[in-house]
Amino acid sequence: MRKFLALVLIAALGAVLIAAVVNLPEPGTTDSPVHTHVSAGYIKGGHEAGGADNLVTAVLLNYRAIDTFGEVTVIFTALIAVLAATSLAGPTERSGTQNIDLKTTRVPVSPVVSFVVRLMAPFIATFALFVMLKGHELPGGGFQGGVVLGAMLILLALFSGRTDKTDDEELPPGLRNWIRAAGPLVFGALGLTGLVFSGWLFSLPDHPFWREMVMIGLELGIGIGGAAVLVGLFRALREG
Amino acid sequence: MSVSDLFDLLILALLITCVLGIARVRDLATAVTLFAIYSFVLCLLWAHRGAPDVAMTEAAVGAGITAVLFFTAIAKIGRREK
Repeated sequence: MRKFLALVLIAALGAVLIAAVVNLPEPGTTDSPVHTHVSAGYIKGGHEAGGADNLVTAVLLNYRAIDTFGEVTVIFTALIAVLAATSLAGPTERSGTQNIDLKTTRVPVSPVVSFVVRLMAPFIATFALFVMLKGHELPGGGFQGGVVLGAMLILLALFSGRTDKTDDEELPPGLRNWIRAAGPLVFGALGLTGLVFSGWLFSLPDHPFWREMVMIGLELGIGIGGAAVLVGLFRALREG
Repeated sequence: MSVSDLFDLLILALLITCVLGIARVRDLATAVTLFAIYSFVLCLLWAHRGAPDVAMTEAAVGAGITAVLFFTAIAKIGRREK
């Protein structure tokens, strides 16, 4: 009976979704509602008013700066929540045969994997930095570069393990936490600078040079802070 | 139907196969591997549809970081679904 009910519900949901998809406007048509409201103005004025050749970046950092500030804060809050949950739970009990003790068990890393990771890591990091710095001209930006950088750091941490690391090799915890908060901090500080200089919160300076500098600062803050948050999530889960 | 549309259809078929696999397997590690494959195939679709920045994020977050975080969690809770 329950299976039958589930089947009926799923069939109804599927029918609604398919009906909605069938009624969507043809992709690429210019007269569909999506393209006739605000986006026409964004596409027309984005280069001038948005201050970035990449319209996605113009929308993210200018037209919808408060949205983006919220996103940056949400990512940081997620890390705080995970850290709070793992520290409240205390050290996990490792009973049962299935659980692998991550602190002592280390699967030997294949030399091929190790070599390839070491070979690729500098290139991935350079690419991530390029995506961050060029985010206002080319596809990409702070978020994209940040996740690539974070993935590279997690990749390195995965195969180097934690047991062969001494405390000297780690960043001091205070500095580490400041870097993790870099996204909201840099974004908030530059937003307030806009308020001071032109009277609008999150507005960009008019001078092209300073506008570019502020955008690069925003992208770097979002990217490096995002990468640090991702690594923090990984470490909290592994060690908590 | 152009070659481009055929490519999209192939990717969509692969996505559906992955999702059905995730729903069926009882081994969590297999499910996470399938999920990473799903993300990577979806990343191809984003790139093909002209969203390289979304594709980049999908590859790094979906196929990379999320899979690693899931594997870390599985190592703590055991890989068999009860």
